[in-house]
Amino acid sequence: MTAASAAGLLFLSLPAGRPSIEQMFVAQTRAAEEAENICLMPPEDGGARTSQAPAGQPPSQTAAAAQAARLTAAAADTSSDLPPVRMVVDPYPSFNGVFVDTTANRVLMSDTNRKSLLMYEKTAGSAAAKAAETPLQQIMGPETGIGFIAGVAIDAAHHELFAVNNDVEDRLVVFDDTARGNAKPKRILYVPHQSWGIALDHRRDEIALSVQTPNMYVVFKRDAKKFDPPVRSVRGPHTGMADPHGIYIDETHNEVFVANHGNYRPAELITSYTAYDARESRQERSGNAFSETARGNFVASSVTVYDADAKGDAAPLRTISGPLSRIDWPMGVVVDEADNELFVANNGDNSILVFPRTASGNVQPKRVIRGPLTGIKGPMGVYVTKDELFVANFGDHTALVFPRLAAGNVAPKRIIRNAPAGKETSGFGNPYAVAYDSKREEVLVPN
Amino acid sequence: MIQGQATHLSRTTHGIAYDATHDEIIAPNPLAAAVVIFRGGATGEEAPVRTIQGARSGLSRPETVAVDEKNGEIYVGDPGDRRVLVYRRDADGDAAPVRTIQGDKTKLLQIVGIAVDPIRDLLVVSTYSRLPGGVTGLLIFKRTDSGNVAPQRVIAGPKTGITRLRQIALDPATGRIFVAAINNEYLPPYDVDKPRAGLSPDIDLPSPWNTGSQGFVGVWNDEGDDGDVAPHSLIMGRSTGIVHPAGVTFNAKSGEVIAPDAVWNGLFTFLKPELFNSGSQASR
Repeated sequence: MTAASAAGLLFLSLPAGRPSIEQMFVAQTRAAEEAENICLMPPEDGGARTSQAPAGQPPSQTAAAAQAARLTAAAADTSSDLPPVRMVVDPYPSFNGVFVDTTANRVLMSDTNRKSLLMYEKTAGSAAAKAAETPLQQIMGPETGIGFIAGVAIDAAHHELFAVNNDVEDRLVVFDDTARGNAKPKRILYVPHQSWGIALDHRRDEIALSVQTPNMYVVFKRDAKKFDPPVRSVRGPHTGMADPHGIYIDETHNEVFVANHGNYRPAELITSYTAYDARESRQERSGNAFSETARGNFVASSVTVYDADAKGDAAPLRTISGPLSRIDWPMGVVVDEADNELFVANNGDNSILVFPRTASGNVQPKRVIRGPLTGIKGPMGVYVTKDELFVANFGDHTALVFPRLAAGNVAPKRIIRNAPAGKETSGFGNPYAVAYDSKREEVLVPN
Repeated sequence: MIQGQATHLSRTTHGIAYDATHDEIIAPNPLAAAVVIFRGGATGEEAPVRTIQGARSGLSRPETVAVDEKNGEIYVGDPGDRRVLVYRRDADGDAAPVRTIQGDKTKLLQIVGIAVDPIRDLLVVSTYSRLPGGVTGLLIFKRTDSGNVAPQRVIAGPKTGITRLRQIALDPATGRIFVAAINNEYLPPYDVDKPRAGLSPDIDLPSPWNTGSQGFVGVWNDEGDDGDVAPHSLIMGRSTGIVHPAGVTFNAKSGEVIAPDAVWNGLFTFLKPELFNSGSQASR
């Protein structure tokens, strides 16, 4: 199996043989839990689970059972409830977003694979760590509203944890910072589909979210809930945003940094801020007078920087992009406001790029952390403190801690593992399609 | 793995097809209104060999793709404009479609799956919608249909067990349609200026996974099945491990059905050789 990052196509070679693996995943997961003393899955048919299908847990609910019975009875084929002959399921968490709370010395990371939040001590891990690190707390289960999770943040002043779902769930969930287990969020805020990054602005008591599909970021009051609308948004053709992911608010310099993958559609082609069941097509919206001249584009991956007071179709103050910059599918971004440096989790080439905070144009990074010694593989999240740099890997079961000034092909000073060393990741990120390559006997899975 | 900026892929890819005749991989990129085609052995940060994108292409939000190896055509389901676009297999750049199916008669709404049967000259589209009059099920057209045409047949209704569906696959050797009935809940559209307009402020929107409606892989026939009919075959239940399958494909040679499940974030393979027996289509 090929380890991989969140995006791209995965090829899984199908092994020979057809072992019987009924309930193999559940057994694997429980075994991993016992071995690592961590929670990977809510308890079976117990606890606070509702009668509905929880995330990450096969349903045993009455309605589903009745539905299955009805359909099975109607179908000619009665061998419907059969175990898989093979499955590719990763029983361990996969890190995505990362945030360091220097006040309480703890690190919060999102787990896209098993749909959870994991909190560790800031000093967790070691250079030679081979075992999975035990988290201080884990939030996971059907009550949490955590699904295809991405950005995370800690508001130390209000003792709150923030996490945003990138897909499917369309909601931001907020927990007390002591929450654990199958906890209900203290607040839910419904957000645009494909929100990915979170940034806090303590001065304004606001949060900002990047949103992929409409190429925008939206700003809410920190305590917004349910259907509260954003207080402002930055969107439009002049913003230069194209499939935005990471976002960071530099409160010292009153700027917002946004990482862009480079997939762009003009507003003319965007019929809804959701992938689901748009109320109207372009034709209906424009009375069949819509322009057929609008087209999608590929633009270079970039980091765009805005005045934090910007709203509407605001042009960026600066844009870092171009071949010298080496920016390639940038995910998380963070600014060292004291030392005036910008850190980019460069997912496309497994590196961390460091730029001067005021860098602009097609400029080289001042430092690059990249190479086999670094252990950087599919980096998604990045966070910097006074002395250390934290990197959340999606392509490996690790988060890495480097000295803040690390450069080149250097080993991390600490490794925080969420699985025993050597365990590969599946690389799946919400797989929604599949194809079979009969020539190579491979399964193709876009993520 | 294929990944990186040069690939022109996105993290939002809900469809994929493999052309065994020409050894090519075809994938939509809805966020850039494009369809990208790779050589079958592509790896790493490798650029596509062809890209369909531009104003003439008519692409708006391509969601799903299929390839007709016999007739040399690529089919694209585009829910942005609620239409099916058909291109020559070797189309490249700002290429115009050779045919388009679009309009109120078509019943096309949220198009999420597409498959072609070049033997029976049929085109099957999976679509869903809660809009008035919206169909959640399968629309079956003639392969060469064009314009504002009604589907020949519609497979939808309570007996199908489908409350929401995604990718479909079709085996031309048997005419069997494999359907990923994800059956999870989805949320109303979000308008950034009026979030969830029309909803009660007290309402709690369901989690997409907390539906009480179990997903399955179902099998129908592309010839003969019409209306509210139950699937001929099912992969469904606790032993299967699948909860809300979003995709489906098959390996006919080995008699296997393959489905990713978004809840487990995993891939499941089932042995169902009886579904790949050539001859007459399954009967109930």
